[in-house]
Amino acid sequence: MIRDITIGQYLSGTSFMHKLDARVKIVCTFAYIITIFLCKNFWSLGLMVAFAALMTLLSRVPVRMLLRSLRPVAFILLFTAVLNLFYTKTGNVLFQWKFLMLTDKGLFTAIFMAVRILSLVSVSALLTYTTTPTALTDGIEKLLSPLKLIKVPVHSLAMMMTLALRFIPTLIEEIDRIMSAQKARGADLETGGFIQRAKALLPILIPLFVSAFRRAYELAFAMECRCYRGGEGRTRMKQMKLGVRDAVTAVAFVALIAGVVLLSRFFPAVI
Amino acid sequence: MDTIIQLKNVSFAYETEEEEKTLAVKNVDLEVRRGEFLAVVGHNGSGKSTLAKLFNAIHLPTEGQVLVEGMDTADEANVYDVRRRVGMVFQNPDNQIVATIVEDDVAFGPENLGVPAAEIRERVDDALRAVGMYEYRLYEPHKLSGGQKQRVAVAGIIAMRTDCVIFDESTAMIDPKGRREVLETVRKLNRELGITVIFITHFMEEAALADRVVVMDGGSVAAEGTPAEVFADTALLRRTGLELPPAAQLAAALRENGVALDGDTLTPETCADALFRAAQKAGVV
Amino acid sequence: MAVLEVRALSHSYGAKTQLQVRAVNNVSLRVEAGELLGVIGHTGSGKSTLIQHFNGLLTPSAGEVLLDGENIFKDKQTTHAARFRVGLCFQYPEYQLFEETVYKDIAFGPRNMKLADDEIDRRVRKAAQFVGLPDALLNKSPFDLSGGEKRRAAIAGVMAMEPEILVLDEPTAGLDPKGRDTILNLVENYRKETGSTVILVSHSMEDIARLATKALVMNRGEAALFGTVDEVFSQGEKLVSMGLDVPAVTRIFLSLHARGVPVRTDVYTTEQATAEYLRLLGKGARV
Repeated sequence: MIRDITIGQYLSGTSFMHKLDARVKIVCTFAYIITIFLCKNFWSLGLMVAFAALMTLLSRVPVRMLLRSLRPVAFILLFTAVLNLFYTKTGNVLFQWKFLMLTDKGLFTAIFMAVRILSLVSVSALLTYTTTPTALTDGIEKLLSPLKLIKVPVHSLAMMMTLALRFIPTLIEEIDRIMSAQKARGADLETGGFIQRAKALLPILIPLFVSAFRRAYELAFAMECRCYRGGEGRTRMKQMKLGVRDAVTAVAFVALIAGVVLLSRFFPAVI
Repeated sequence: MDTIIQLKNVSFAYETEEEEKTLAVKNVDLEVRRGEFLAVVGHNGSGKSTLAKLFNAIHLPTEGQVLVEGMDTADEANVYDVRRRVGMVFQNPDNQIVATIVEDDVAFGPENLGVPAAEIRERVDDALRAVGMYEYRLYEPHKLSGGQKQRVAVAGIIAMRTDCVIFDESTAMIDPKGRREVLETVRKLNRELGITVIFITHFMEEAALADRVVVMDGGSVAAEGTPAEVFADTALLRRTGLELPPAAQLAAALRENGVALDGDTLTPETCADALFRAAQKAGVV
Repeated sequence: MAVLEVRALSHSYGAKTQLQVRAVNNVSLRVEAGELLGVIGHTGSGKSTLIQHFNGLLTPSAGEVLLDGENIFKDKQTTHAARFRVGLCFQYPEYQLFEETVYKDIAFGPRNMKLADDEIDRRVRKAAQFVGLPDALLNKSPFDLSGGEKRRAAIAGVMAMEPEILVLDEPTAGLDPKGRDTILNLVENYRKETGSTVILVSHSMEDIARLATKALVMNRGEAALFGTVDEVFSQGEKLVSMGLDVPAVTRIFLSLHARGVPVRTDVYTTEQATAEYLRLLGKGARV
């Protein structure tokens, strides 16, 4: 049922990864994604994959859940792999049949691309599995806070993100309800040409917008009644404090990047 | 008992494009006493919800004065202080929850007030325990029932340590079970924490539990008194589009048939007691 | 023959995952033409899921829904036609209004039925009359109506399809006593005048007691009780044990009975309760 959808995809837990500061997790995730694209040989790639595996272990997120997050990208994964496999014309030819030609470089590129996408998605999924949406937006707010100096409304942006996350399930439920109600009046949403279908959406979109505006209006009142005045003078219940755990993680990441750089120096690039 | 909110000859008109403005609230004089459980009843359009929004400076009086702890709500500089003393729980439980986790939502008010982190934690836990939602503190709000969401909203207000909570038809959209939960919570807060409660409702059985009832009709106060006094006037109820609580309806029908019932007959419990006493007196038990 | 028959209907959400939830479990019932069936149950008892099978919006995991003896899930056309034969009006229906005018909104259903213009016009006006919306309001935007009028306009939109069975999910939710009485009266008048079958979902046992001829109590996805209103409401204690809100008079009489007062406990209206108490005291009702 719709009630079962989860905001973001946070899995509650108390693992090492769960306890890490959101800012550290966000920065490290970005660092990881950039670093994996710097890997040009199997040694460095292997190191990255091993590191991702370690993080998965530390997060106690079931592998099954991680695989589930990969499902939406399965097609892209296959597509890029096949593309790389047969469109790379340089390198030693391993196999040829009519116009299909497979080179070692093509094979390696395909493997690299696939592994990169897999790790990229898994690592981002780990971030969202182990960080609550609130912590995530708070982390982003804190990380972007230097931008306040150039008058970027960082707090408002973060608040908007939180509210959007909060209202996604509510609005999905609403769409479901409106669709059922209009279908009960014989609305036909499945047949007809493009214009007809676009027209058929009006009975759903209009009530949806009317309701969304009403909700926004009421929410604004409710927030004001709870003394919300923007970011000025606000404190937070959940203070972000960097601890030993976060320092260890940061050092480990620096070591990882250094390792990748070194391995790239000592071993030749294969792609 | 001292006064927490005072309305002096208050009128209010919504801003419309039309020239003629109809007053949603007309010349209301009202005192809310500290620590009381005040119910405001009336049919839709009677002005009861508009009145509620005048108590905490959502609406500012077109005429007259609203004083909250002596502060005039019309003075821009007071608005923040008024709202930290008088909180409000709205009708639609979905449209007042801000955060994606229950405890973060309860923390929202104290955070806005600039309360130190450790104290917020304490207040949030206390508030969630007070409304019986502590076990749900890590839940996502949309997975809760209507009654539970309203209790979270109540916790969000009392975590601000407000003196007074207004319930603006907060039970209208939830099922009977949720309504009972909310009502029990409200009575507990009123009795145990001494929080002043202003309860706007059109359910007469809820109003029957209050210390005092104000009946709104056509924007004015049509009657005011204890539930027993107000519900004794059936003509008034009929005139204002209201009805007796079901238990009181039975008691009224029996009295019409010559049955002498003594004491309070407004709630099912008290009415059953009265019927039991009458049966004993008649010697049939 | 029953106009609506439900045979061993079950519905599960999330059928293919481990999170499978049986929202409706093996429910059977029969509704005769012209009856008013009241459906009672908690939020989450499965009553909303159940009624969405009556017009084919939801497809059962198991079991059948028969309209005039014909299974509506027999083929696609029959399922689609069921939408118009069973008019379903959801909770808070005013939130589905969308047209420029009230008239057009009420006409939305009939128009989807591909009826001729004059027939649509006749139906819109008749439905508006049933719900007590004056002609002057028909050309207004539905968003300019009052709360109660919006609710009635939305109900008219379903009535205008002239369904054999009208299903109303909590039509009085959020309304004050006056608004509630207006809706209940118009439902009763509609049933009397058109002879249609009505299914009314409500949290209020008082409302069901007042209007219904038959009652169905849903509990945890199952039909816990089904029968005439007298049969169902005479099981006061069972209803209380399910955590349902029995009418206040029933609660009072259960309490008296528990204290040893020899009264019946199957009373659910003020009139019945008055008569029963007067009988106890050895007096006749002065009516």
